[in-house]
Amino acid sequence: MEVIDARAALAPAISLLCAALVFASGERTFWRRLFSLSAALAKLVIVMSMLPGALRGVVYVFDLVQFTEGVGLAFRADALGMFFSLVSSTLWLFTTVYAIGYMEREPNRMRFFGFFALCVSTTVGVAFAENLLTMFLFYETLTICTYPLVIHDETPEAMKAGRKYLAYTLTGGAFVLLGSIATFQLAGTMTLSHPGILTMDAGRGTLIALFICLIAGFGVKAAIMPLHGWLPSAMVAPTPVSALLHAVAVVKVGAFGVLRVVYNVFGVRLLDELGVCDWLAALAAFTIIAASIVAVFQDNLKRRLAFSTISQLSYIVLGASLLTPLAATAAIVHIANQAFAKITMFFVAGSIQRVTGKTTVHELAGIGYRMPYTMGAFTIAALSFIGVPLFAGFVTKWYLSLGALESGAWWYALVMLGSALLNAAYWLPVVYAAFFKTPPSTHVEMQEAHWTMLGPTLVCAAYVILLGATVSVPGMPFALARAAVTFVFGM
Amino acid sequence: MTTWPPLLVAVVVVPILGAVLTPVVGQWRARRAADWALGTMLLTSVVALLLVARVADGGPFSYVAGGWEVPYGIELRFDEFSAVTAIICLLGVLAIVFSRRYAEHALPEVRIPYYYALLLLNLAGMLGFSITGDLFNLFVFMEILSLSGYALVAVSGEKIAEMAAFKYLVMGAVSSIAVLFAIGMLYALTGSLNMADVASRLGGAPVAPVAVAFGMMALGFMVKAAIFPLHIWLPDAHAIAPSPVSAILSGLVVKVGIVGMLRLYQIAYTSRALDLEALNTVLMWLGALSIVMGAFFAVFQDDVKMMLAYSTISNIGYIVMGLGLASSAGVIGASVHVFNHAIIKATLFLGAGALIFRTGKRTLTDLAGVGHAMPWTVAAISVGAISIVGIPPTAGFLCKWYIALGAVEAGHPFFAFALVFGALFIFIYYIRMVNAFYFRPPRDPAILEVREAPASMLVPILVLATLCLVMGVLGRIPLSFIEPAVTRLLAPIGGG
Repeated sequence: MEVIDARAALAPAISLLCAALVFASGERTFWRRLFSLSAALAKLVIVMSMLPGALRGVVYVFDLVQFTEGVGLAFRADALGMFFSLVSSTLWLFTTVYAIGYMEREPNRMRFFGFFALCVSTTVGVAFAENLLTMFLFYETLTICTYPLVIHDETPEAMKAGRKYLAYTLTGGAFVLLGSIATFQLAGTMTLSHPGILTMDAGRGTLIALFICLIAGFGVKAAIMPLHGWLPSAMVAPTPVSALLHAVAVVKVGAFGVLRVVYNVFGVRLLDELGVCDWLAALAAFTIIAASIVAVFQDNLKRRLAFSTISQLSYIVLGASLLTPLAATAAIVHIANQAFAKITMFFVAGSIQRVTGKTTVHELAGIGYRMPYTMGAFTIAALSFIGVPLFAGFVTKWYLSLGALESGAWWYALVMLGSALLNAAYWLPVVYAAFFKTPPSTHVEMQEAHWTMLGPTLVCAAYVILLGATVSVPGMPFALARAAVTFVFGM
Repeated sequence: MTTWPPLLVAVVVVPILGAVLTPVVGQWRARRAADWALGTMLLTSVVALLLVARVADGGPFSYVAGGWEVPYGIELRFDEFSAVTAIICLLGVLAIVFSRRYAEHALPEVRIPYYYALLLLNLAGMLGFSITGDLFNLFVFMEILSLSGYALVAVSGEKIAEMAAFKYLVMGAVSSIAVLFAIGMLYALTGSLNMADVASRLGGAPVAPVAVAFGMMALGFMVKAAIFPLHIWLPDAHAIAPSPVSAILSGLVVKVGIVGMLRLYQIAYTSRALDLEALNTVLMWLGALSIVMGAFFAVFQDDVKMMLAYSTISNIGYIVMGLGLASSAGVIGASVHVFNHAIIKATLFLGAGALIFRTGKRTLTDLAGVGHAMPWTVAAISVGAISIVGIPPTAGFLCKWYIALGAVEAGHPFFAFALVFGALFIFIYYIRMVNAFYFRPPRDPAILEVREAPASMLVPILVLATLCLVMGVLGRIPLSFIEPAVTRLLAPIGGG
């Protein structure tokens, strides 16, 4: 059931308004904080208010402008989009609180918070995009808006990372644009409201080329190997930005784009017939394992996190490309599962850096005595990545393995197992060092980060357990993922 | 047939009269000349808007000078493509407002009245060019605007400006001769100079001379449009001219070549005297080459205005490619880009002008960090940059979308590819520019002390930057406005 409702457009608009107000308030800290926080809260309320409807199967739609027949900007809050926007607006609130604490003494805070708000605006825009054009618009805008955040420090290293980031993502954007144009030409529409708009009539070769084009476009931000090069270098950005890039906005937009291409542009049936998804699944499996192996050898905590992100994102891609309902469920819920666990880790890395100035793993011996709550949150996230039951990551691994068996590709279940071992291999040493190694000096005082930083960290860690433990509780995000799967598989 | 005749004549006559009288008005006080020129252009704008409103309402209309029936009399014809008059007037007004302070700073005072006179003459030439229905008139107006254009490039009187103007003059003269030659041949073939009449008589003409005539005409217009490799006159001329003049030259004067091409197509497609497949193929390739080469040269520039000048070459490449595709979406995109690029490029050139006016510097290296000192101007430049690269929802995006769609529609996906990735290339140097203005440490800390541009400069820049956004969000309006003209244009060849 479709209902015309301005809330679908209001959700991205409110962050846009927030950005404008932040820029207008200049260097006045109080007003900037007030606008940032109230916009984050207002947005969460708006998205939440659509949740009961979305769970009942109501889809909120809103047409903004139409340029010509079939070419226009429109919003549509379907189950998949709702899921993604719920995750990103929840995390925006936490990240904003954290960033206020983290950026306390940094220069150029107006620019930072302004573009920060813009990023979230565009992320929700992608989530609610009704057609490929709207999606491309927000996808590109997101690239532009994250650039000033990546180069926030304005050091030569940051500028270099910024250039690399733009080179990768803009090339990806160009592929998305080409793919959108070709889709419009072949299907006569760009809507994302159907379970697939293309048909076999377009010709096998053309469809495969189009699929590669679109997946390459979105795959850059989803950091599928070998398109991942920008992500580790972008770690020079301030930590809240890395959290935003890696957990909420940029990479998830890429993964979400892959989901949209698979489920709404091509459709499961057509892709099954084309057979291209076997290749994509193999590539994703390779990324999962290879990135994890690289992560084991990283000493810098943020770099280790970056490679872990690359590995985790490919869970989503793998889940999408297996083309079975269970794997699809895993792909969708992993958007949330990875986001909360990864953002917890980034918050921890940022807190450690702010409190102790340490950035590498080998320096962390005994840090658990000094920052017990922070490292406790880290441990929860680490266990989730390893896939211990009751933690969010387990849900993904379980459904993904079931999905792999369902599609007859049992070896992907082994990939899951291997990835769990590798995750253990690079996260457990950190936990071990924190709690079981003796600290460098005998006298250790407890010294946690400011509550604006510690609070969000603990809440996100709590979410990780909540998401893992309440899978079968009605009204939780998991039900939304189910609804989305029912729609795309026509069940 | 002859309703509202005075308006169609007035849109050309008012600025010409204004131009002639400007030196007289400004003889004692230079500021008077500015006021006078502004008044003239405002009046012309009102007339142009009425004309555009009428064509949107009831389709093309024409006026026959002196009551002599077509094809004997001179016909002024206003169709949807002529709506470019509106944009000519808009940029004219804004450039004149901008010039008020700029000219005082950049030119010797005795020259200021002549500067305004030349500017008005140039605008009048373009207005006439876009509304005439007569081939010889077309040539006359082209000469008016070209000659005034050469003089405007040289107006500052510096040696280097004279060199640039001379280079422009030589290339411009060649193109004028080519066009004149082609018009002569068409006259010899048909015995008529009225465009519609020529088109209807050309049907049975022998192929070879028609091909030569069309080829020469296309060549002439392509030089005017500065398509690669006929662009060599453009960068110097556009970079060295005073900034308001650069805005007019880059935004409008090169478009004369495009409007000329549209007129040529109107004749060629209607008459069906010749299959234009070969010409179109050449145009598509030259368009693609222009996009890439323009971007390639621009990447290596340090001078802001030089960069902008090369960016014009890329954008003309978009338009020419769209024309060459000869598919409905392609030509619509190209036509609308004639308007949109004018707005965008004027934003950028006027913005650059304001920076030069305040800082006296014109290279990226020297201008580093200026964004902190002149936030509004640099914000406007950034909007222009985003728009010219074609990021939605700005004006540049829809044109790019349409031309690329046209490429796919016409069965040439390669050109869509070239266009989208050419745009990426263009992005590189605009990123450099925005980076330098905002994120690079200033080379000379004194740059942080300069003041924001004066209101007479800032207002035109902000108006244009707003239009960059508005034309994107309300992109439907220009697209649906131009569509009937393109459908009519392509109907004879089965497109549209």
